[in-house]
Amino acid sequence: MISFYRALKFAFQSFKRNVWLSAATILILVLTLFSVSLVGTINFIGDRAIRSVKDKVDLSVYFYPEVGEKEVQAIQARLQTLPSVKNVNYIPKEQALEEFIEKHKDDPVISETLEILDDNPLGATLVIQAKDIEKYSEILNVMSDPNYSDMIYEKDIEDYQTIIRRLTNMTDRIYQITFVISMIFIIIAILVVFNTIRITIYTHREEIGIMRLVGATNWFIRGPFILESMIYAVISTIISVGILYPILRLVSPQVTTFFEGYNLNLANYFSDHFIEILGLQLIVALVLSMISSMIAVGRHLRA
Amino acid sequence: MIKIKNVTKIYKPETVALKNCNFRIRPGEFVSIVGQSGTGKTTLARLIIAEEKPNKGSIIVGGWDISNIRSSDVPILRRQIGVVFQDFKLLPRKTVYENVAFALEVAGAAPKKIRNIVPQALKIVNLENKIDRFPNQLSGGEQQRVVIARSLVHRPKIIIADEPTGNLDSINVQEIIDLLLKINKFGTTVVLVTHNRDIVNSLKKRVITLDEGQVISDQEAGRYLL
Repeated sequence: MISFYRALKFAFQSFKRNVWLSAATILILVLTLFSVSLVGTINFIGDRAIRSVKDKVDLSVYFYPEVGEKEVQAIQARLQTLPSVKNVNYIPKEQALEEFIEKHKDDPVISETLEILDDNPLGATLVIQAKDIEKYSEILNVMSDPNYSDMIYEKDIEDYQTIIRRLTNMTDRIYQITFVISMIFIIIAILVVFNTIRITIYTHREEIGIMRLVGATNWFIRGPFILESMIYAVISTIISVGILYPILRLVSPQVTTFFEGYNLNLANYFSDHFIEILGLQLIVALVLSMISSMIAVGRHLRA
Repeated sequence: MIKIKNVTKIYKPETVALKNCNFRIRPGEFVSIVGQSGTGKTTLARLIIAEEKPNKGSIIVGGWDISNIRSSDVPILRRQIGVVFQDFKLLPRKTVYENVAFALEVAGAAPKKIRNIVPQALKIVNLENKIDRFPNQLSGGEQQRVVIARSLVHRPKIIIADEPTGNLDSINVQEIIDLLLKINKFGTTVVLVTHNRDIVNSLKKRVITLDEGQVISDQEAGRYLL
């Protein structure tokens, strides 16, 4: 324990003595963490957006007004047994009419036409959601059953496919670019930490020689350098998270507006998952800096 | 205490530093190893502290064969052997006290033990009044005494002094030799590597003479031969 404390003391001393070198190293680590976080954020936004769009896709089956409630409900029951169906919503003709009136209340022609008609001109509707976007064609096949053909007035699947494709393309592209940038930063960070520790070892070579001579253990000689790189990791994680949060808060309204209705609030997500994000960044920073410092120590502090 | 058996050390590509060396040093002895520059004296010192490994033969220190010592065991050996070199190897930014304490700190000694031992070691070398000085505020002889104090803190059974007087003037030389003799009187084995004829002749202790990597003479109460 006392040795750990002393190793930590040496690590902090060396950190302070080479303060500019330490600052530069931390800056690179912060940039690396930041770009890795950016990849994560873009991945998250893309994933959420696509998922919300997929959730919005549904298949509406409109029945003729003369088709009875029981017949429609029988079809609903049949659909619900299909493994590809997530849920089937039955909209009775009265409700369909109300919704229709509500939707077109600003259109005087439609309102007048409806007033002239005594009967409800609309039939019942089934709104079907599939478990997976690929399953709609399967459900459409079932609904094309000739027995149903004289009951069904129209089948309408809202075409979100283009939006999904566009979203996927866009997020994939951004993801690829940021991923490459992150990889470049990761490589730079490993090299910079490696070099910093190498220089630190070089400036301490006299001390290291004396430590060896007077019987310091290998761990005690190597420990301070590994600890120093861990200090870099901790500080850069704190800085990176400290920068990331305000930026997310700043762009969060724009992102929310852009993906309107998709329930996407970056700042809230960040606050809710603060510990996970902090932990993940810390792990990335620690792994990066420890790998490089261990390589440096292994190469330049051979026992 | 120290047994050197058929030791050969070759530095690549073909420099033979030591060739078939054989001798034995008993506990509590004061032995001078002499010879001209490049005859393998320093190599011998480095072999005894496991800074180097022999190509052939074996080195036994206190019953422990260190010829193929594992690197993790080297610190254990080093704590039993005090080392004094010609270039003092003091840390310039640490005071006398801190330099001596450093040897205990890096070995994981408790602060109480450090506070206890360091002043004792500095008293032995007569530097108890200069504990707050930095190395550059001391004379060469004083600096070497700090090194000796540092080598004593682990209470070693052996002190290896490789040309400890090489950088000192004659007055300081005598001071250091007197100090080594004093430590030897406490029962510590002292191995003095030197090419200083006057010292060796005045000591009247055992002398092992090396020439071209070989032991050419080993005399009790010997003299500098070459």
